[in-house]
Amino acid sequence: MPRMTSRIALVALLALSACGGSENTGNSSGSGSNPYAGKTLKLGAVLSMTGAGAVYGVGTKNGADLAVDTINASGGVNGAMVSLTTRDDASDKAQSAQVAQTLIQQDQVLGLLGPTLSNSAVAMHPLAESLHVPVVGISNTGINIVPDCNFPDQTPCKFIFRDSLGEETAIPDNIKAYSDAAHPKTAVLLVAKDDKFSSDGGVIVQQNVAKFGITLLASIQFSKADADLSTPVTSAVQKNPDVIFITSLGNIPARIMTAARTQGFKGQFLGGNGFNTAVVSKAAGAAGKGAQSGSAWYINNTFPSNAAFVSAYKAKYNIDPDQFAAQGYTGVLIMAAAAKAAGLTFGDPTQDRQKLRDALEKVSLDTPLGPFQFTSTHDVKQTVWIIQMDGSGGFTLVTSIKPS
Amino acid sequence: MDFFTQLFTDPVGFYQSHELLVAQCGINSILAISIFLTLYSGQLTLANAGFMAVGAYTTVIMSLDLHTPLVLNMLAGSLLAGAVGLLIGLPVLRLRGVFLAIATLGFGEALRFGVILNLPITGQGQGLKNPSADPLNGITPILIALPILTYVVWRLTGTRLGQAWAAIREDELAASSNGIDVPRYKMIAFVAGAVVAGFAGALETHINFFVDPTSYSAARSISILTFAVVGSSVMVLGPIVGATVLTALPEIVQQAANYRDVVNGVILILIIIFRPKGILGGGGLAILRPGWWPQGRRLRHARAAAPD
Amino acid sequence: MAQQLLNAIFIGSIYALFAVGYTLVFGVLGILNLAHSAVFMLGAVLTYALLVLHHQPFLVAVLISVVVCGLLGLVIEFVTLRPLRRRNAPQIAALISTIGLAQILVAIVEQSNAGSLTSWLWVDGANSVRFPPQSVPNPTYHVAGLTLEASKLAIVVVTVMLVLLLGYVMRSTQVGRGLRAVAENPRAALLMGINVNRMFALTLFISSALAGLAGILFAIALTDIDPYIGRDQVELKGLAVIVLGGMGSIPGAVIGGYLLGLIEVLAFVSLGSNVEAGVAFLALFVMLVLRPQGLFGARLRERL
Repeated sequence: MPRMTSRIALVALLALSACGGSENTGNSSGSGSNPYAGKTLKLGAVLSMTGAGAVYGVGTKNGADLAVDTINASGGVNGAMVSLTTRDDASDKAQSAQVAQTLIQQDQVLGLLGPTLSNSAVAMHPLAESLHVPVVGISNTGINIVPDCNFPDQTPCKFIFRDSLGEETAIPDNIKAYSDAAHPKTAVLLVAKDDKFSSDGGVIVQQNVAKFGITLLASIQFSKADADLSTPVTSAVQKNPDVIFITSLGNIPARIMTAARTQGFKGQFLGGNGFNTAVVSKAAGAAGKGAQSGSAWYINNTFPSNAAFVSAYKAKYNIDPDQFAAQGYTGVLIMAAAAKAAGLTFGDPTQDRQKLRDALEKVSLDTPLGPFQFTSTHDVKQTVWIIQMDGSGGFTLVTSIKPS
Repeated sequence: MDFFTQLFTDPVGFYQSHELLVAQCGINSILAISIFLTLYSGQLTLANAGFMAVGAYTTVIMSLDLHTPLVLNMLAGSLLAGAVGLLIGLPVLRLRGVFLAIATLGFGEALRFGVILNLPITGQGQGLKNPSADPLNGITPILIALPILTYVVWRLTGTRLGQAWAAIREDELAASSNGIDVPRYKMIAFVAGAVVAGFAGALETHINFFVDPTSYSAARSISILTFAVVGSSVMVLGPIVGATVLTALPEIVQQAANYRDVVNGVILILIIIFRPKGILGGGGLAILRPGWWPQGRRLRHARAAAPD
Repeated sequence: MAQQLLNAIFIGSIYALFAVGYTLVFGVLGILNLAHSAVFMLGAVLTYALLVLHHQPFLVAVLISVVVCGLLGLVIEFVTLRPLRRRNAPQIAALISTIGLAQILVAIVEQSNAGSLTSWLWVDGANSVRFPPQSVPNPTYHVAGLTLEASKLAIVVVTVMLVLLLGYVMRSTQVGRGLRAVAENPRAALLMGINVNRMFALTLFISSALAGLAGILFAIALTDIDPYIGRDQVELKGLAVIVLGGMGSIPGAVIGGYLLGLIEVLAFVSLGSNVEAGVAFLALFVMLVLRPQGLFGARLRERL
């Protein structure tokens, strides 16, 4: 075990020094006074540890904590130790903004990760932007996250970044991959109308199917509070489509798949980020076999730092990491890499936050998600992994799509 | 107990780092006052989240599409909520007790699922962003509105109107036979509550940036009721105390980390068991006796005299 | 359409079974017990724990869970209701204290993970799981173009049988007569020598055991067990059902359950998917305005 930890530490260290070295900041390795030595790099995370978003928040926190341990075990960021304060927002957007404010103004964090839900990001991100605190969204896949966090105002937000793959990329890529392979003709969309995430995904599906020669026979709406989804599923199955699109979160995809297969549906399920956790694959069981989605991460991807991340995660938590853990882990690595290159003074937080933000725009490092740098709109540019549920709680890789 | 240490030793710093929490306490206090108005007149209504939605959506849609001044939008939102209250009140206010509660709850859900989710102008499930939101300055109108509202409602409870409400609450039949126009006074309370709830909804979009249907669920109405009952539903400070305590509680018990909902629940039960008429309600602190303990004479009499 | 009618009957049965216990407490104690939905959820969670974490046979798991849920009803009575009754507190105080208890129960399950104190109960946090298909067999039949699942058929049968049994107990046994007497007039019942407190406790026990059983059947038929199944998916509907049927009326709750299932499905099929939930609550609203006593409320005297 100690040997493994040190190997991981080494990988992370290499990753950090690789990017730090490329930036000429003039103070990172100078002899004599190193302003980082003995300091604490304060970061905050706003995650959903309770409530409906806890399904994702727990994995993210595990990943982020692992990254902090790894960095600190290998000497921190230029000698400064990373401290990450995680606060629970109870999956509620009002509390998201409240705890973010407390982290910024009481704990004086330099940068923030989060929040878990895109629904909460609409409240927290504009607040952080107005207080000039850099934020890396680690699981926000919705629309209007970056760069237009102040939408409908189109002025790009300066302080908001994300390392999570947006549904606007993942859903079309997934539809393309499937229609290239199977040439489906017809589809039905099932969308939870009272859930912003699902509605956003539904709009993306509606905008994209025609491009791939698919006719959308119907958009069937239901409520996420419906106890029995048999009724909408029956309507969908009776239309006899080649594809059923599901854009929901939580257990809903699994419940729809189970009901649809029971009612004799033989076609294909395509979905969004809501598919990408082992929990959903496990709950869907045999009914989910073959259900396909675009993911930001795949456990067996061959990026150099992925294997080390996966084994360290298993060693620490005794379970496989998921996409959310990988994104949380990556979020901390990105912050640390930027902090390393930023030339922080550890004096005035306002100044340091500005420097951290500027450095974030230039980070370039190797992560479990692949070689990472932000686009000019602060978004991710990364490989999309098209994955399928394997019918027994896991995923298999269909194909990967390199960023264009 | 960092929360209290900072609150008492460094109130300015506390305020600066908890401004949004204070703002939410303020909004929830206003909401609690809105339900207080109906509770005070003996009506258990749970339409407040629905009225909030009317106020919030009206304000945001007006700023988005009409670009009218904020004050006008909020005023319109509150008044429209009142108008909807009048329409809903006509059929339902002859119901009582739990029936009234559930009918009004049904109104809220019908509004959310039937109307908001189906009108393109509301952004449906995707919601709407409030273009004029400003979380850190949005607190000012809240801090101004709350004391004014409290004062007005406090004075109101002393007027003939307030006395009529109290009389209806104590005994509707007696009030009616004393010449009080019961339906009219009930309606006034209901509509006033709707206006106040609509106003709170409008205010909230300014600190939360966003309106979407999830914020106005039946669960929200029930938590508003909890604020008022925990504080006390017979004096106007009660709802404010209840709302402030229950809104700040998750932050106070933050050290319970993942178990804070458990701690929240335990505290809620303890408050209501020891102070069944609310924190500010009368009746002294309850002393719990085990079942085999002889009951006091006063209590036994009270029970024997209790109506079924 | 035929398949949709079957869907309506299945979901109606769940609503009915959930609502029967709900309405029983209201009928006898005059209180809305908002912890009912949490007990419903715990029924499913406990069965899952016994089955999957403790490797018990299915029927044993169900039996233990139902009894534990019944005992939980006693917790509701002794922790949240009796102290308030003894203080002669307003009824609304009892409503709030049951909300508090529901919050605690949901939070305990939600925060149970592999390493936590309650890992014997639940290890899946906020996640949703289902019973392993091999331990709870659910054969599916395709007859005349219709899909029939054994589990859903079983729900209908169990619901009908339980309601008949409850009806028999209420009408023809000593205990049932006692409960009805208490429901009618607690003070008179007290004078007649009935131990009213014991009757209240018994009511909570029966009601909660029924809630637990409803939760188990829900979990089997809808392949969904998580901390929120009671709170988010059946609580409000259950409230609508007992109002539709008439507060406190057991037959009313059953008919109301099926009626709500039917209204929802018909609204979905005829008016389109976007208005379904709105229609259910609109029906509730109209019902209350036109006939506040509910379908069966007129015969309040014999509501049990």
